[in-house]
Amino acid sequence: MPQASAMQKSKKVVILGHFGVGKTSLIRRFVNNQFSDQYKVTIGVHINKKVVTLSAEDSISMILWDLEGTDSLEQVRDAYLLGTHGVLFVFDVTRPSTFQQLNSDLRIVSKKIPERPLLVVGNKKDLVSEEELNKLLLDHNISHDYLTSAKTGDNVEDLFLNLATLLNNDA
Amino acid sequence: MATKMDEQAKLETLKELLFPDDRGAVEDISKRIQLLEIIINDQKKLAARVDPLVDDKLNAFTKSIPDTLGPTITATLKKEIKNHKDEVVDALYPVLGKMVKKYVAQEIKILSEKIDNQLSFITSWKRKFRSWFGGPTEEQLLMRELASATIEQVLLIERDTGILKASYSVTNSIDEEMISGMLTAIKGFVEDAFNKKNQNLELIQYELYNIHLQSFVTHYLAVVISGNYHLKSKNKLQDIIFNFYYNFMAMNLDLVFNYKKGKEKEVRTIEKELLEQELAASFRNAKI
Repeated sequence: MPQASAMQKSKKVVILGHFGVGKTSLIRRFVNNQFSDQYKVTIGVHINKKVVTLSAEDSISMILWDLEGTDSLEQVRDAYLLGTHGVLFVFDVTRPSTFQQLNSDLRIVSKKIPERPLLVVGNKKDLVSEEELNKLLLDHNISHDYLTSAKTGDNVEDLFLNLATLLNNDA
Repeated sequence: MATKMDEQAKLETLKELLFPDDRGAVEDISKRIQLLEIIINDQKKLAARVDPLVDDKLNAFTKSIPDTLGPTITATLKKEIKNHKDEVVDALYPVLGKMVKKYVAQEIKILSEKIDNQLSFITSWKRKFRSWFGGPTEEQLLMRELASATIEQVLLIERDTGILKASYSVTNSIDEEMISGMLTAIKGFVEDAFNKKNQNLELIQYELYNIHLQSFVTHYLAVVISGNYHLKSKNKLQDIIFNFYYNFMAMNLDLVFNYKKGKEKEVRTIEKELLEQELAASFRNAKI
């Protein structure tokens, strides 16, 4: 039987969140290292891919399912979530409406995709000062894993690298 | 020294006089041992003696299997089937699918031949009219109708995740893993949107290409076809797909069931290269 030279696993990652929080921009920054100020709404789903090298022996092919934004996560089609290996939940730090229901949103995610690595990401951190950001998160009692900026690229690479590591350990 | 020799000779003479029968018996045993040694050392002679005995024992053992091992085998099979329902259904699907398909295809063929006989002259006239009114020539139209479909690309995709397991391609396309994901998303959307349980999206058409999607329980195959893809081609293609999938599931089941008793099940996957060799062997020269 032929032997593969290095282990490359393929993993399905879904990116969830409300409309306009920057899900597509985060993926574009990570995959193509690009950013555009023009907002184009995602219809249905868009698929992207990037291979992340973790070590000489391990690499992960991340198949990124960029799902259209919804007001409620209950509206996300179950067919899109089948077999998901990892989740990114993105909110916009400048729009409280995208994180006011964060805890209930996360409960829905955990119900639909149980026991899978999940990272909570506050995006667009470049639009608020650090002081404002800290106050905002404290006021709303928001626990997050990453604060990112798709525009500047701040923390984007770290976010996906961490998720790739979690997926590798979860295999 | 001479005295000792004499005594030994005398003792031997005395033995011969006293135990003549025993001496004969010893010689007899010695000859039998020699014969046995010859038989044991000569494989053919030994086989001639032992084989009938082994055959008898084997026959008796085979006959007793249903009584002795039957319940254990049945219980093990039941347990394995219960634990691996998807794999078993997947393994049976191509076999049952083939049977049903052959029956339906046979019936359709009979019906189709009857209709063809009735309509063949209409088709011929339709072709003539098309060529008279500025379309392609009748020969070109005939050639087009006869042009067979060609398999351009085959993707074996995990049904839930949309992750590509193996592929075979004669043409270059964009990243196959992205195509697999997108096809899965489209398939999932259509099947979900129309809310028809156990209905699968089977065909995507665009210009000169058709994508035939053959779904099984855990995986599905997407076959990109160029050319004239009609019912006859579909039938041939499904036969090839079922044959491939049957082999694929056989490999899968070997991995699922092949683990040592009492030890934790070893999770293994079929190497991608091996799967791709299988795909290429099945689809490379396929005529549909």
